[in-house]
Amino acid sequence: MPRLLAIEWIKLRSYRPFWILMILYFMVLGLVLSGVMLFFEYLASRGAELNGIDPSIIPFYDFADIWQNMTYLATFLKIFLGFIVVISITNEYSYKTIRQHIIDGLNRWEFLAGKLSVILAITIVNTLFVFVLGLILGWIYSPVQGIDIVFENAGFLLAYLLDVFAFLTFALLVGLLIKRTGFTIVLLALYTLFIEPIGALVLSIEFSEYTFHQYFPIRAINNLIQVPFGKYMFQEVQDYVALGDVALVMIYVGLFILLSFRLLKARDISG
Amino acid sequence: MNTPILHIQNLHKHFGKVHAVNDLSLEVLPGQVFGILGPNGSGKTTTLGIILDVIKKKSGEYRWFGEPPSAESRKKIGAILETPVFYPYLSAVDNLKIVALIKGVDESRIDSVLKTVDLHERKFDAFKTYSLGMKQRLAIASALLADPEVMILDEPTNGLDPQGIAEIRQLIIQIAQQGKTIILASHLLDEVQKVCSHFAVLKKGKLIYSGSVDEALTGTDTVEIAADDMDLLEETIKQFAYTQSVRPEKQFLRVRLKNNQSSIDLNRFLVEQGIVVSHLSQRTNSLEQQFLQILAADSSSATSGNHSFIDQKTTTHA
Repeated sequence: MPRLLAIEWIKLRSYRPFWILMILYFMVLGLVLSGVMLFFEYLASRGAELNGIDPSIIPFYDFADIWQNMTYLATFLKIFLGFIVVISITNEYSYKTIRQHIIDGLNRWEFLAGKLSVILAITIVNTLFVFVLGLILGWIYSPVQGIDIVFENAGFLLAYLLDVFAFLTFALLVGLLIKRTGFTIVLLALYTLFIEPIGALVLSIEFSEYTFHQYFPIRAINNLIQVPFGKYMFQEVQDYVALGDVALVMIYVGLFILLSFRLLKARDISG
Repeated sequence: MNTPILHIQNLHKHFGKVHAVNDLSLEVLPGQVFGILGPNGSGKTTTLGIILDVIKKKSGEYRWFGEPPSAESRKKIGAILETPVFYPYLSAVDNLKIVALIKGVDESRIDSVLKTVDLHERKFDAFKTYSLGMKQRLAIASALLADPEVMILDEPTNGLDPQGIAEIRQLIIQIAQQGKTIILASHLLDEVQKVCSHFAVLKKGKLIYSGSVDEALTGTDTVEIAADDMDLLEETIKQFAYTQSVRPEKQFLRVRLKNNQSSIDLNRFLVEQGIVVSHLSQRTNSLEQQFLQILAADSSSATSGNHSFIDQKTTTHA
């Protein structure tokens, strides 16, 4: 294991709250992702219709469609991973261990790189989880099978990886900025779920001739995987990952990392 | 020629309006046990924070081992600032594994430093279950981990009980005997006197004295003296030809004599003047009195403000 990741691993492997949150997150993610068909059947049994369609015939888990459907749904839960990242960074301030790390001979970039490697590891595990679950659910539900169709549109998994990685880097930046666990979690949730979406909505109405509200960070990240469900109601949907969106999110990732580094460099590390 | 372990030149730091470190220049040579003395808020920890790269300096420069500061040079320093800092839920071993990875030290060192500080039997217990003394000892173990050339200890006996204090001091003396350079920040004069070979005094971020402990203590014997009528005693002593200074303390006067005159000479003079003393003892000066003189000399040129420090310190001399 690379040195910086090994350091972070020692911190996390005995940290009970980390494992509890991780297990809860994956349990909820697993339940949500695998329960869609049951939910649709429940809706159908209650006589519900979506634009005149019986929900239980929606091919949510059919191969090729499954990756966009699953990853889109999964992104709604990424905020919980954000909380885990926030805890891992703000703990360093409340324990003052960030200061001791620097004193012991870690430089600021190595400290940041250690945290980024944790984020990357979490992101990869998370994506693999969705991938494996997708394979299983597709195998159970999908009428079409076969290696080539299974991996068609699997590019959405990469988009999902970038989506979660970008959001967690954002969470890292906010954690570094605020340093306090509780406050950071509240602010991250408020910004992600309310402040930016509502602000962007207001701006889009106010300045309807412009599109800049599309480029706010959370919106840009969420744009990677577009809502897929409209196509089941005969609407136009974007059923691919747009390269422009990917580039924008990449720029944001770079910006978050750069700002985090500048923040670490510029401030006294008082703990 | 001896390259200084640490060289500080014209260091400045402001916190808002407070001039926390004011034009500080210092040099620590290999093998010294260097005490940095000063009351709380005198800039000791800030100075250490700057030379350990966790606090940004305003101006000035410092060098470790004659080189510009870097993360690599910090790996050769074992340092603790203020309180011991560890992950509370991790064991001593896990905490030290992290330090070993940072410093690039083999994990086999962990057992040996834990034995040095006598924590070996509790090494798998979580840090949060340790007593304050054990926490301090683990901090020293962590500082020793890389077998560093220089150790920085900031108030290492703060908050400990007398037995804990004695243990830590013994440990520091032991480490110093192995030839390591130690920089020790403390507000306890007694501690610096017992442990250090050299010392510097900081006040409001300024260096007001720097020198060796032995030098500061030579030729500075004083006489403690008391009689029924203290006022008359003081008057009479002032008339003695060899009196350098008289300072009233709680129960007696502290007299400093010139020309190697001893308490016998003073006593003979007093008897001739018809005064019988109730208490007379000659004392080798402690750093404390030396220190008070340094502060007094400084405040004649600067404003007052050292009283709280004096009050705090007079109780520490045993």
